[in-house]
Amino acid sequence: MRTGVNSGPGRLLVAVYGVFALAASARAGVQIATRFSEAPLAYALSAFAAVVYIVLTVALARGNARLALVACLIELAGVLVVGTLSVVDAQAFPHATVWSGYGSGYLFIPLVLPIVGLVWLFRTRGRGQV
Amino acid sequence: MEHGLTWPTGTLLGMFSAFSGWVIGAALLLAVVSLVTAIRNRPMGVVILAGLVLVEVALVVQAAIALPRAGEVTEQATFVGYLLGTIVIPPAALWWGRAERTRWGPAVIAVGAFTAGVMTGRLLQIWNMA
Repeated sequence: MRTGVNSGPGRLLVAVYGVFALAASARAGVQIATRFSEAPLAYALSAFAAVVYIVLTVALARGNARLALVACLIELAGVLVVGTLSVVDAQAFPHATVWSGYGSGYLFIPLVLPIVGLVWLFRTRGRGQV
Repeated sequence: MEHGLTWPTGTLLGMFSAFSGWVIGAALLLAVVSLVTAIRNRPMGVVILAGLVLVEVALVVQAAIALPRAGEVTEQATFVGYLLGTIVIPPAALWWGRAERTRWGPAVIAVGAFTAGVMTGRLLQIWNMA
């Protein structure tokens, strides 16, 4: 049986990351295209989050565990840093990003997702990859 | 929502709202059926496949009704993005979930259907703000 990072539960993980890649890209695209000057930092971070989600979706789907691991760690750091900053210094983040309030606008999924991703990557480590 | 051209606009507004309500219901029902299938540890069957096709047809009809009138809503970019996003999701979920002949196939469909339902809900919000 094939047990790479992109099959079994990994397939579901890719689907969820795919949804977030789509949602974050759309959100960042609209923000940057229509009102970038209002909050350049927040919108740049939105775009950064979108890129991280796209990289993760592709890396997981293609079974590139090493790249997925790095992206997952960046994602976790991103949601923790941006989440904390948005709570501590709300002035700097007047406009929401996916990671604001630790992803509270998205049912905290952005906070849970990198943890699930890391657990999954460690569990499949060493097994045959596609 | 009174416009200059009261009855055509009003009728269409109501039609879209009613239709979208059914689309949300169908998408969420499909999500629940898929989730139950995944929990029961069954691979994807013909019921889920038919449901996915039905939801996709409904989403295409919805986009066909709403796209020509996208100019009337306030958040045009988001609105069009969501309309296009919703019609892409079911085929993508089918393509990605079908290859997995385990419980994780229907799990992928559940995520896709839920996302399509939520996005249609957001569409309805934007539409009613117009």
